[in-house]
Amino acid sequence: MTTRARNDSAVNARRMLPMKWAVAILGVVIAYVVLQPRLNQWFGWSLPTVASMVGDDKPLAKKTPKKSEANLTATKDQLDKVGQIKNQEEKFSKKKTNTEPPETDEAASRSSRPSHDNRPTTPSNTATKFKRNSDEDDSDPLYGFLIEVGRGRYESPAGLVYGPGSEEGHRLKHIAKHLEDQPNRPGSHGVFRGDMKAFLIAIDDTYTRAKNEAKGTTKKDDDGSVVYEVTFEKTIGFIGGEAGEKKKNPAAKKMRLVVRGSNVITAFPF
Amino acid sequence: MSSPLIYVESCPVCGDGLCRIRVCVQNQRLTGCVLCDECEAVWTDPSMEQRVSRDPNSDEPLCPGCGLSLWDNHVHWANIGEVCLLGWYDRVRVVTGRGD
Repeated sequence: MTTRARNDSAVNARRMLPMKWAVAILGVVIAYVVLQPRLNQWFGWSLPTVASMVGDDKPLAKKTPKKSEANLTATKDQLDKVGQIKNQEEKFSKKKTNTEPPETDEAASRSSRPSHDNRPTTPSNTATKFKRNSDEDDSDPLYGFLIEVGRGRYESPAGLVYGPGSEEGHRLKHIAKHLEDQPNRPGSHGVFRGDMKAFLIAIDDTYTRAKNEAKGTTKKDDDGSVVYEVTFEKTIGFIGGEAGEKKKNPAAKKMRLVVRGSNVITAFPF
Repeated sequence: MSSPLIYVESCPVCGDGLCRIRVCVQNQRLTGCVLCDECEAVWTDPSMEQRVSRDPNSDEPLCPGCGLSLWDNHVHWANIGEVCLLGWYDRVRVVTGRGD
């Protein structure tokens, strides 16, 4: 009887051992699934998803765009690599559709701009805004200005970093909203006069001036963020949005830049 | 037809953003907060009296309920029903046809 009981317990132990291992492996897999996107985001790693490892998902490796598409959205491709903008793609597609017709809200707002305003025409097509120059390839700096320093993270010459974040999925996409007016948006909406590269240069200039405490600059700490304000000698944009429209889109000579450390949260003229 | 834009006021921190209601739904529990859609400042409610402190190690605004990013998939801009559930309807402005 004792021998039989001993045998039974040995059999049970053999049965339990694989079960324990299965539970342990399952735990490791779950931990990996939960932590993988976080680790990639925090450390700029490129750990593959479980789905991609079992072949159910696209690998993170960069896909080569067709030649006809290569110039369209180099930035989009780079952001796609970290899977940050998949959801935003639909929003931008809608936006692009909305801005493609010749008489868009943007175009209409331009036609109603005050006569003193000699704003240059900024590209209203979102895809155009993220377009590289035709002579650039992927090894060139983004917009001829930003260097990639991690997955989806780009650094400016002044040391500002544009990375994933914001409602749009990436800070560059967020600040790009300030390249065109949103006349129906309540409140004011600062609009930069120029293209994305000029905007990035102006933001760098803002940061450099503010860090050097140049004349006409202010700095305010706000719960870990720093809000810099810099007054430029010339007009850099105009005040849009509903409030700006009511005031006939007054010119803006100041830039407000919000950063956390060296990471850009937002920037806009005001 | 786009959903209405619901906001409390223009952001007192950055001046350009709109302070909007962000809701987190987890375990059938609704948590609301006020988030600036420009500078990402966060308040506990539309009175805008109490800020939600930011995690110094995170660039993203965090939900006061679950502690995850307010840009995560389980968080979204509140609709009118959710604003009513939170008891904040009389504290917000609703602009129809301009939301996202």
